[in-house]
Amino acid sequence: MRSISFVLNYLLPVAYLAVVVVYYRIFFHKQKELEQKTTIILSSLLVVHFFEISIRHLALNTIPLSNAFDSLSFLGFSILVVYLIIELTIKNKGTGLFILSFAFVTIFISAFNHQWQKETNALLSSPTFAIHASLTLIGYTALALSAIFAVLYIMQNRNMKSRRFGIIYDQLPAINYLERMSIRSVAIGIILLGVGILLGHWQAAKILDSYWPLDVKVIVSDIIWVVYLITYIFARLLKWRGRWMAYLAVSGFILLVAGSLAVVLLSESFHKFY
Amino acid sequence: MNNNQYVPVAVIGVSHKTAPVEIREGAALDNDSQQVLLTKLYNEFDLEGVLILSTCNRTEVYVTGDEVNILLSDIRKRLDAFKEVPYYSNDEYVYIHKGKTAVRHFFKVISGLDSQMIGEPQITGQVKLAYEQAHQAGVTDTLLNKIYNYALQSEKKIRSNTFISEGAVSISFAGVELARKIFSNLEGLNVLLIGAGETVELAATHFMEKGVRSIKVVNRTLQRAQQLASKFNGQAFTLDQVEEALTDVDIVISATAGERYILDYNQLKRISKRRQHEPLFLIDLAMPRDIDPKGNQLDGIYLYNMDDLQEVVDKNLQNRREEIPKAMKFIDQYMDEFSTWMATYSISSTIKQLRRYFDDVRYNELQRLKSRLPQEGMEQVEYLTQSIVNKLLHQHIKILKSKNNNAERKQQKIEIIHELYDLNRD
Repeated sequence: MRSISFVLNYLLPVAYLAVVVVYYRIFFHKQKELEQKTTIILSSLLVVHFFEISIRHLALNTIPLSNAFDSLSFLGFSILVVYLIIELTIKNKGTGLFILSFAFVTIFISAFNHQWQKETNALLSSPTFAIHASLTLIGYTALALSAIFAVLYIMQNRNMKSRRFGIIYDQLPAINYLERMSIRSVAIGIILLGVGILLGHWQAAKILDSYWPLDVKVIVSDIIWVVYLITYIFARLLKWRGRWMAYLAVSGFILLVAGSLAVVLLSESFHKFY
Repeated sequence: MNNNQYVPVAVIGVSHKTAPVEIREGAALDNDSQQVLLTKLYNEFDLEGVLILSTCNRTEVYVTGDEVNILLSDIRKRLDAFKEVPYYSNDEYVYIHKGKTAVRHFFKVISGLDSQMIGEPQITGQVKLAYEQAHQAGVTDTLLNKIYNYALQSEKKIRSNTFISEGAVSISFAGVELARKIFSNLEGLNVLLIGAGETVELAATHFMEKGVRSIKVVNRTLQRAQQLASKFNGQAFTLDQVEEALTDVDIVISATAGERYILDYNQLKRISKRRQHEPLFLIDLAMPRDIDPKGNQLDGIYLYNMDDLQEVVDKNLQNRREEIPKAMKFIDQYMDEFSTWMATYSISSTIKQLRRYFDDVRYNELQRLKSRLPQEGMEQVEYLTQSIVNKLLHQHIKILKSKNNNAERKQQKIEIIHELYDLNRD
């Protein structure tokens, strides 16, 4: 089982890359025959990824999301699920290249960094942990999607304003849809991340006897979430929309990525389980 | 694919590619004329099938039958006489396609590849109507039916697998396309028309068809505004109420004959702020323009003029042109399928002709000998001759239907038999 897991782990980024190539051909070469096959392609990839996650955790006898790279793989999986739902809902494939490229990057990094060690940390056996980690990750996914939609909004808005009726204009959906998706994703991201963080604090109180342990990851996550929440509330109260709201979503996500990277690379945290 | 395969079909046509509008008008056939001409051509020339397609851009007469190639010149003269014009006999305006070239041409026509606006879908409906008319008049044969079926299949394949029919190719639809790139769904949106002329009315009709909720009309004279508004169950305003009318509007179409801006930059800025930068899509179709072009710089304001819409149309037409090679591959695919069918069809038609030929020989010889032979035993003679004919035919049929034949070989055999027994003469 371990060897199957090993093979699947390295096959997965190849499969994601192949799907990105399919979307590249749809976007830039307008291949209608491929357009008609995306649902089956995405569903197959979803099944393969689900199988990969299941096999890996059965082989290692762990639960999912036990380390950063495990989480990245789950993040890519979540993006794939969300994108499939979006595509089936709006019947536009123009955003696929961008969203699935992001998923591919997460899978690629994850595949080449798995530790292949059996998990021993007792904390990870708690069901609350799984909910905390899942909600946090789905929250991150929503914020990432919000940033992607915001970037696409900025691109399409620029096309519309400067009358650039090229291939990007053709393929991307309407600007009000991109704007709505970006704002909705931020809201969903803030809520899920908020609940995930709260659960984390509650779990910390149970295990570490403190709601706010002095851990750099916890502090940075809390700060980023509060900044996101306050900015979002202000933006809604001031009825910001369009370009400025898009810039805000992108800036927020850059802050989130920078903060998370800094924590992972520069500090020690009890949030490391491998 | 065997390019030399004989297909007894031809088309005589006048189209936008070969003739100016005055000639096309003169050559066009209305519905009643088509009905009459279908039967006339079918009976007068002993054709096996006739189909007449007449649209604003083309008039084409498709004919099938073994003698079509010989009859073409007479059919052209008959068409001239029917229309009382000399166009059909004039090679400058008319194109003639025969055999497989005619079939390929029909496939291109039904798919919109031969249309002035490449990929336009109306032509498919027009061909369907033309076929229905011919079919109901009883002037379609197996070959014409088959060509029509393969053409429909290729058209379906082309439209669903290429972008040949996508994107607006008229100015008024380009406005709708741009609006969809801002609002995605036009249902429930409010439209304001500035001016009450035909241009805004036509544009408004397209938006109404897409499900917009309401239409308001602003015009210099309230009476004219009311007249147009009543057509759309909308509200009417005078020009000095334009800002008030704009409050809850999503789309503005403007085309007045005024010399000055009806909406200047400062007005647009006020409106945009009041709307909290919610998208406002403006189409300025006037010359000189009604709306200050600087307004496009404001957040949430998307302002387009006639040239912009033309640019969208040109881009879409270019996109459609780029799809032609893909579409032609599908046409080749269905031409191959048609050729395969044609080879089989030719065999069965050749066998029928051959049987008729042998029966005729037998019958004529029997008639000639009947007076000289005693009447008793005549039944046995008839039986004997029939048996000989069947035996001789059997060998021919065996060779024609041999499984070792490829399409080219089959065609060669058919041609030899036709030549040997002079079957084309029949």
